[in-house]
Amino acid sequence: MSLLVQRSDVSEFRRRFRWIALFMLLAFLGLIVRLFYLQILESEENSAIARENIVRRITLATTRGIIRDRNGEVLAASRPSYNVYVVPRRLDMETVWPKLMEYLGVGVDEQARLQTLITTIRAGDGPRKNQQILLKEDISRDAVAGLKTHEAELPGVDVVPVPVRYYPHEEVGAHVLGYMAEVDAERLATLRSEGYVEGDRTGVSGIERAWESYLRGTRGWEKVLVDARGRRRPGGEGIIEDPRRVDPIPGRDLRLTLDAGIQKAIDKAMRGELAGGVALVDVRTGRILGLYSKPGYDSNALSGGSGKQVIRDAFKRLYTDPLKPALDKTLSGAYPPGSTFKPFTALAALEKGLIDPRQSSQCRGSLTFGKRTFRCTHVHGAVAMQRAITVSCNVYFYRLAAEYGVGMDLIAEMGQRFGFGARTGIGINAEAPGRMPTKAWMTLRNKGQFRLGFGLNAAIGQGATTVTVLQLALAYAALANGGTLYQPQIVRAVETSAGTVVQEFTPRVRRQIELRPENLELVHRAMVGGVNEEGGTAYRVRVAGVDMAGKTGTAQVSHKLARGQEAEKVWYFNREHAWFSGYAPTRSPEVAVVVLVEHGGAGGKHAAPVAFEVIRAYQELEHQHREVQAKGGPKPPGNPSSAGGKPSGDRPRQRPRPGGRGGSP
Amino acid sequence: MIRDGLAGHERDHFDWPLFIGAVLIGVLGVINLYSATSVYSGARAELYISQVYWLFVGGILGGILVAIDYRHLERLGYILYTFGVFSLALVFVLAKDVRGSARWIEFGSFRFQPSEFMKVFLVIALAKYLHDDPRNEGRTLRDLAIPAALTGVPALLVLKQPDLGTASILTLVFLTIAAMTRLRWKSIALFLGTVVAAAPIVWTYVLLPYQRDRVTVFLNPEGDLLRRGWHAYNSRVAIGDGGVFGSGYLKGTQNQFLFLPDQYTDFPFPVFAEEWGFAGTVLLVSIYAFLSLWGIRIASQAKDRFGAVLGVGCSAILFWHALINMGMTSGVLPVVGVTLPLFSYGGSSVTTVMVALALLMSVSVRRYSGVPSLDRL
Repeated sequence: MSLLVQRSDVSEFRRRFRWIALFMLLAFLGLIVRLFYLQILESEENSAIARENIVRRITLATTRGIIRDRNGEVLAASRPSYNVYVVPRRLDMETVWPKLMEYLGVGVDEQARLQTLITTIRAGDGPRKNQQILLKEDISRDAVAGLKTHEAELPGVDVVPVPVRYYPHEEVGAHVLGYMAEVDAERLATLRSEGYVEGDRTGVSGIERAWESYLRGTRGWEKVLVDARGRRRPGGEGIIEDPRRVDPIPGRDLRLTLDAGIQKAIDKAMRGELAGGVALVDVRTGRILGLYSKPGYDSNALSGGSGKQVIRDAFKRLYTDPLKPALDKTLSGAYPPGSTFKPFTALAALEKGLIDPRQSSQCRGSLTFGKRTFRCTHVHGAVAMQRAITVSCNVYFYRLAAEYGVGMDLIAEMGQRFGFGARTGIGINAEAPGRMPTKAWMTLRNKGQFRLGFGLNAAIGQGATTVTVLQLALAYAALANGGTLYQPQIVRAVETSAGTVVQEFTPRVRRQIELRPENLELVHRAMVGGVNEEGGTAYRVRVAGVDMAGKTGTAQVSHKLARGQEAEKVWYFNREHAWFSGYAPTRSPEVAVVVLVEHGGAGGKHAAPVAFEVIRAYQELEHQHREVQAKGGPKPPGNPSSAGGKPSGDRPRQRPRPGGRGGSP
Repeated sequence: MIRDGLAGHERDHFDWPLFIGAVLIGVLGVINLYSATSVYSGARAELYISQVYWLFVGGILGGILVAIDYRHLERLGYILYTFGVFSLALVFVLAKDVRGSARWIEFGSFRFQPSEFMKVFLVIALAKYLHDDPRNEGRTLRDLAIPAALTGVPALLVLKQPDLGTASILTLVFLTIAAMTRLRWKSIALFLGTVVAAAPIVWTYVLLPYQRDRVTVFLNPEGDLLRRGWHAYNSRVAIGDGGVFGSGYLKGTQNQFLFLPDQYTDFPFPVFAEEWGFAGTVLLVSIYAFLSLWGIRIASQAKDRFGAVLGVGCSAILFWHALINMGMTSGVLPVVGVTLPLFSYGGSSVTTVMVALALLMSVSVRRYSGVPSLDRL
């Protein structure tokens, strides 16, 4: 008996080996067909996916241009902040997401919102699944550290340094500089062709908006190799197609005509007032040294430096505050100019020769015209033209309109020559054109009836006439420089980030107003008197050492009660606007200043002191600059006197001034 | 070496094609494993060395098996089978949990996967059963009840670990062997009918949720690319990325950039396919096809029923492993954990494959031995 089995009958299996073999052969052939399909027919598609798997295009942020004042002081720049981006398709919502939320320290509500956002994108069909989506902005330093440390556990998550805009002077000059905000979906639709993407910020007002295309810069990108866990890998030759990298181009820097020192001085001078606007313009060039609107707002809060909640709160305040901080009171607000308009009425009368300026007129405190009585501020007695301007006698100007034929159209014509009723063309913010009403316009407005009383009001800058602070400043600059109306200039030069000047803007004359010198001289003397003569409207508040000419204004307002408002509670809004317009120094003027204190009351009492303080600050700053230059220090690039060695044609015309102040004609 | 251990006339019948085919796979497997683990640092990058050790262990075990006449196993058939089933049961008691499923038994620092060895034990048990039960007329399903039960017990134990892949292999090996027997046409029809009827029940009550997921993901691979569909999708992409001649050794980006997790256990094929292209995969498939078909040829030349069933069974183990693994990685079969013979890393897997190959060799070298070898001793 053998230990091993005996040979047995294998005939049962005999025919079946072949079938099993055939089955196996066919199965492997099928497999080869499949491999042929994948590796030959679908090879290119699969290679493309394999490449797409590991090649990621990362955005290289650009830096927005810096905005500096005329002396090089920074008014707006960028500081680093960190944003978190995720690629929805690569994100594991069950393991990675909770960790990410923990490191970011996101609240429950926001967490739910973000999760909905990402889930929606993941469920969608669009290309956004594979793109970096901005998840959270300006995360804390702790969060940055946490995410960087645990980078390996967080595939599909990127921490990207992004510059955030900041404004070192905060509220001062906010309206001129403007602020930044994230582009909303609506604007993005039109801006996408210019290369904007979700999460981009653009300037939404002021210079930030108007000069966006210069400031913005062009972002670059780089293709890098990233493994399945989201880690960067070196190399990539032969895998990444050229070009692999496009460097970002930094935005252009702007050199403004503004002076930060003056802006601060204006802010200080306005400390006692609730609302208003101030402009300081170089009369020789039209360059704006100071442009200030109150109340302001903190551009930093609006620009997203401290998160979305801060933005929301800041906006809420911006649009609920009755003092309207969102409104740029130097450009966008139009106000009746009041008596600051009188010099232009006077010029209208003088240029037409309608009155002998030496001829006196009696002021008894009011003038009755038709059935109405038009009031004056005081009983001025006998005043001639110059004195009438100095003491701001309304009756004298009523008479010009009522008795000497200085009608609305004549006033309007002179006003228009000085730029009233038309936008100045500064190019930032929504500029109000103001209104320079003509007889025809008034008739139309008054349902076909024209009353001569309209002309009387127009003569003293009341009624339908409205101007902006900047318009008035430029018109006074023209009074001071002999009749040259300049185009206002706020940006002095465009520079590269390295400091090279790319483009420099020379002063542009808008119009040469043809006026007889003796008429200008009379108005000039009248305004010198307004500050320096006994009885002048700003005489009582004059400041020793400040050599200035000017005219006050007290513009009546008619506040319409809104529904639900009680008259007692809105007394403030019924108060007159206080104005002061002038220029300094009186001999060869350099700057024109306009101060508007909204509902400030009498111009001589509330606006003029601000103007004195501003001019004093200007004089001090100029003095400092001159000392620096005398010592051979670096020339401040924005100094108007160093206008780039331009030919004398660019030089502002100096007004011939016979004699001197108070000299006889 | 193995050949030298054989008796004279058996040495003359040494199966060189089988030997060369096996060596070729083993060498390619180690080369590929080196590339697959090159993305890691530390212990995992050295796995190819362990694999060489395991090939040696398997080789020695195989050598012994070749030297012993396979017919000795006939007597041990049920003992080995019982041992295997006992080990599987023991897994539940001693198991070390690896990724949510218990598959291992540990003895000190040594651990093994009884489900791997069970495949061979099952083949031996089935061979013994069919050896002892020769028929000349057609069988009914009832005649296959005992082999089916022999398969069912370990298959269910393995399924509960849970290890769908090995359970499938056990079932498919049984079906291959059953296909060798002379079944009545009516029985075949009845069987197929039962399978169709039972499928929904198995789907609902036997399969675990994650196992069902694998099948749904297979049917709709783009459904969830990040989680369950990830493996299937990226392995298919890797294979396709290979193109005609591949991206070159160590240069497959899908592997190098970690898009093929488990590349050294269940997914070594995409690594190979990406680096060697269609040229490489056709060669590899051809070698597996050759080994499987050669195994059937060996079985067909066996002089006894035990050897024939043993040959078909071992061949079926190789065939189904290769087919399912390459099928699942290329996206024509659902992803179940089935290794690629000698390409996947793993001691239990490698030794099991080596044992199966050795059994084939053992049957092959004795294809002409009319007289039981012990008689001659």
